[in-house]
Amino acid sequence: MLQDIFINPFKDMIEAPDFLMQVLWEGLVSGILYALIAMGFVLIYRSSRIFNFAQGIMVVFAALTLVWLHEIGVPAWISLVLTLGVMYVLAFGIERVVLRPLVGQPDIILFMATIGVTLFLIGGGEIIFGGENKVMITEELGIPTGSFEFEPFGGFLILEQKDITAVVVAAILVVGLLAFLNMTRMGRAIRALGDDHQAAFSVGISLSQIWVLVWFIAGIIALVTGIAWGARAGVSFALEVIAYKALPVLMLGGLESIAGAIIGGLMIGMMEKVFEIYWGQPLMGGNTETWFAFVLALLVLLFRPQGLFGEKIIERV
Amino acid sequence: MKPIFKLAAAAVAAAVTAGAVSAESIYVPNLSYRTGPFASTGIPLMNGQKDYFTMLNARDGGIGGVEIEFAECETGYSTEKGVECYEKTKGEAVVTQPWSTGITLQVLPKTNVDKIPVLAPGYGFSPMADGKVFQWAFNAPASYWDGASMILKYLSGGDANALKGKKIAFLHLDHPYGKEPIPFLQQEAAKMGFELLLIPVGLKEMQNQSAQWLQIRRERPDNVIMWGWGAMNAGAITEAVKTKYPMENFIGVWWAGHSADLAIVGERGTGYKSISWSKPVADAAVWADIQEHVVAPGLTVSSEEERKGVFYSRGLVMSVILAEGIAAAQKEFGTGKINAEQMRWGLENVNLSDARLAELGMTGMVPPFATSCSDHTGHSGAWMLEWNGSEFVQASDHITPDRDAILPLETAKAAEYAAANAPWPVNEACGN
Amino acid sequence: MFFRTVGQFKTSYRKDQALFPVRQDAVLLWVILLFAWVVFPFTASEFTFQTLLIPILIYSLAAIGLNILTGYAGQLSLGTAAFMGVGAYACYKMITLMPWMNPIVAILLSGVFSAGIGVAFGIPSLRIKGFYLAIATLAAQFFLVWLFEKWAWLYNYNASGAIQVPNLKSMGVYVAGPQASSIVQYYVVLGVVTFLTIVVINLTRGNLGRTWKATRDMDIAADLIGVNLMKSKLTAFAVSSFIVGVAGALFVFMWRGAAEPNLFDIPLSFRILFIAIIGGLGSILGNYLGAILIVGLPVVLNTVPEALGLPISSATVEHLNIMIVGSLIVFFLIIEPHGLNQLWRLIREKLITWPFPH
Repeated sequence: MLQDIFINPFKDMIEAPDFLMQVLWEGLVSGILYALIAMGFVLIYRSSRIFNFAQGIMVVFAALTLVWLHEIGVPAWISLVLTLGVMYVLAFGIERVVLRPLVGQPDIILFMATIGVTLFLIGGGEIIFGGENKVMITEELGIPTGSFEFEPFGGFLILEQKDITAVVVAAILVVGLLAFLNMTRMGRAIRALGDDHQAAFSVGISLSQIWVLVWFIAGIIALVTGIAWGARAGVSFALEVIAYKALPVLMLGGLESIAGAIIGGLMIGMMEKVFEIYWGQPLMGGNTETWFAFVLALLVLLFRPQGLFGEKIIERV
Repeated sequence: MKPIFKLAAAAVAAAVTAGAVSAESIYVPNLSYRTGPFASTGIPLMNGQKDYFTMLNARDGGIGGVEIEFAECETGYSTEKGVECYEKTKGEAVVTQPWSTGITLQVLPKTNVDKIPVLAPGYGFSPMADGKVFQWAFNAPASYWDGASMILKYLSGGDANALKGKKIAFLHLDHPYGKEPIPFLQQEAAKMGFELLLIPVGLKEMQNQSAQWLQIRRERPDNVIMWGWGAMNAGAITEAVKTKYPMENFIGVWWAGHSADLAIVGERGTGYKSISWSKPVADAAVWADIQEHVVAPGLTVSSEEERKGVFYSRGLVMSVILAEGIAAAQKEFGTGKINAEQMRWGLENVNLSDARLAELGMTGMVPPFATSCSDHTGHSGAWMLEWNGSEFVQASDHITPDRDAILPLETAKAAEYAAANAPWPVNEACGN
Repeated sequence: MFFRTVGQFKTSYRKDQALFPVRQDAVLLWVILLFAWVVFPFTASEFTFQTLLIPILIYSLAAIGLNILTGYAGQLSLGTAAFMGVGAYACYKMITLMPWMNPIVAILLSGVFSAGIGVAFGIPSLRIKGFYLAIATLAAQFFLVWLFEKWAWLYNYNASGAIQVPNLKSMGVYVAGPQASSIVQYYVVLGVVTFLTIVVINLTRGNLGRTWKATRDMDIAADLIGVNLMKSKLTAFAVSSFIVGVAGALFVFMWRGAAEPNLFDIPLSFRILFIAIIGGLGSILGNYLGAILIVGLPVVLNTVPEALGLPISSATVEHLNIMIVGSLIVFFLIIEPHGLNQLWRLIREKLITWPFPH
């Protein structure tokens, strides 16, 4: 028994290193996608202290809008631009209808409001787009769909080109976002708002403008995530469940840190895959990916309550 | 003022309107799903079912002169919703079509009390074949254990020792549907000497099966048998193609052989097989009637592409079974508007012989079979269909299930079920 | 005019501290109890029992449990459904292992198991707060659902993985299983819910309730004045999980008749959370009001189009239901973050002075 837990998995890993590499690659790709969703959360939380539960459904909504526009005949790149427009309108609508009346309310109220928004978008989305699975327009967007095959250690390793594209695009997005937040005026305004609403107001930063901007950027991130994930697994409302996975990433990385989101995402993605393949499937009947990330994050939080990179929580009485 | 009063009023209104059904028609609800992750596989089947009755109503004015009111209640494949739909429709319905093994299992104990027959063609609880114990449940024309047996027969080529020492992975939906054949498969694994590897796919992982297919890559089974449904089918097939699993070793049950799922991978899916008790026959005579009475007047939501596929034809077959049951009951009891008790008798006396199939214009779409008091399945047997890159074609002769291996397990499990759900009335009139 | 509190004097401290010091409130309560215990059971149809009366009571109980944890003690929990599942499976195992046990006793005992699991998963709350705690409770949610699926002993190695309620008798009458009649099950549920509500009202009005509220409002300050935070949080988890576990057992045994593991998944957790929030966090009455709304809404939505003759498919009705619940949540949070309970309080205040302006 102990041997099964502590020795055999590592033996398996060493015996089939090409397989281990494949597992790590798969974990990396899912980790990147979790990190993307987590980034959307972090952005909104940093600027407004709202835990935007609707990020998941925004991913689905963006992907569905893109696919639907293409279905009705709009060419791929124009669909992309139009979808961005839709996400902007959505951001604007949410800010106006939901966020503005709730300014100043405790965090839990705002969190609940975003759950309400999620439900609204799920129901509405199902009525507008229909509930069946759709295929992402990968080729039309110019994303290569072949795969690279390597033969390390005599085995074989398959890297799908669309996964590589997802990783590259995610990296560009992250770098772009970090640059935007740290080096532009708008970025500084966002950070200022996150630190102290009142102070930001008093120096003339417009709350609603910034919030619309932030939600729009989150919408862009949602769209990229939707495309990447939809290309892998098809577009449907089941994608929304993947957003739940972003939550342990946030726990690990801390709710305020973008770097934390990325590192947390990669860690969670790879560790859950490795755990599932080498411990979950042989010893526990499989399917451990549903809870492993959460339990891992929980254990980390017990030692560092603010996550690995979060701001230390200072409470005043 | 008090919300309770308003709600009581609404409740009364609900109770009244729930019972409103037209007088001269037979109410046949279908617990369908046109939304959710299983809609892609559900919709063509439900369209087929619905269109057949539309055709009968238009061409013959119904069955025996009585119109068939084919209503749908949306369940989204959720067992919870399914049970709600059942409760809502059981008042006026003569039959219940749960469309999910999970819903069937939860509705099964209630049917004895509510006295409504459950028609679960090709799904449900395999021991339902035992008509003596399950007098109110029917799973014609083939049960899951029949299906598993036929797949094993095909793989072994009829030779009981051919599978000795082999490794067969059972990729299944982590749901009562996927788990249903496991007892039988485990029995056969012990008997035939092959290693059965159970690989479940959770409902939330249907579209992201990388972990499962990594496992398959590691274990290198000789064959993969898939009991998939909904988004799981497409997910599995795309992963199989991606990880380069040899398609000719990949066999799915009849619910995992959906043309649209394979169309996603097209040529690269060549060799994938699916055991099926229904077959699309392009030149069957029934198509002319469907075209004239359903497609031309625009009474269908299906597309031409969909109608060519395996599932739409299967939907037609399923409605035929129900229609034959209704007709048999009408003839026996001499009345047009039959009730649930009579429907039950009718379903026990379905006789789809070659001659009858020819009369219906459906020769070759389903193997001939007949149900009886003690046999609620009919055990029609099936064909192995194979994807050739653009469509499913017949790839084997007619295969029959190994009833000797199945029957003892059926009887045992049926008795176990009756004991666990005591008091369970058994139909002694079935002799056997 | 109706709620004239003028002239109602309390002559003893005991009377002053009564639960409903204003006579009209007490009368209202008696009317409601009369309807619940006498009028409804004998006038309701099977449909009404199954779709309205029984589920409202069960959801209210679950929401009461969640409210204790989130509304009174301030620990946000998203794992309610999993604890309901623990209660349901515990009850199932007890019934099948000890068939001689009275099912109602089994239902009440099953709460003990879920209380134990609740305390175990509540231990992180001693270190983690706020949203982080909410996500930690999701760990409980997902892990327990996985366990329900994988640990075959829980469902007696049944091939389908689902648990089925057998026909159970209590004092000669069928109370569970397909043979049980709705009216009997309704009375069982009503009895259990009434009993537990009385217990909870007393708890929240007593010392423990005050401790919880202190933990919720300013936990560090409470710690400073000597409130034992660990005891407070863990008892909150224990009591809450007990009630939620009993609600889960009632859910399966007195209403659904069977359960699959994924019944106790996130959507159910959220449904209970919505009931607690829309009803009003930190109140008892709110849970009932919230349950009436959330349970009644789909029923009304289902029957109104038929009654008006509009052809809407049941799928669309389903989606509309979800949209409306979502909008209702946002709506309530904007106009009244303290829920229907607060709304009722405001109406009551207005009624006290009506028809006068002050």
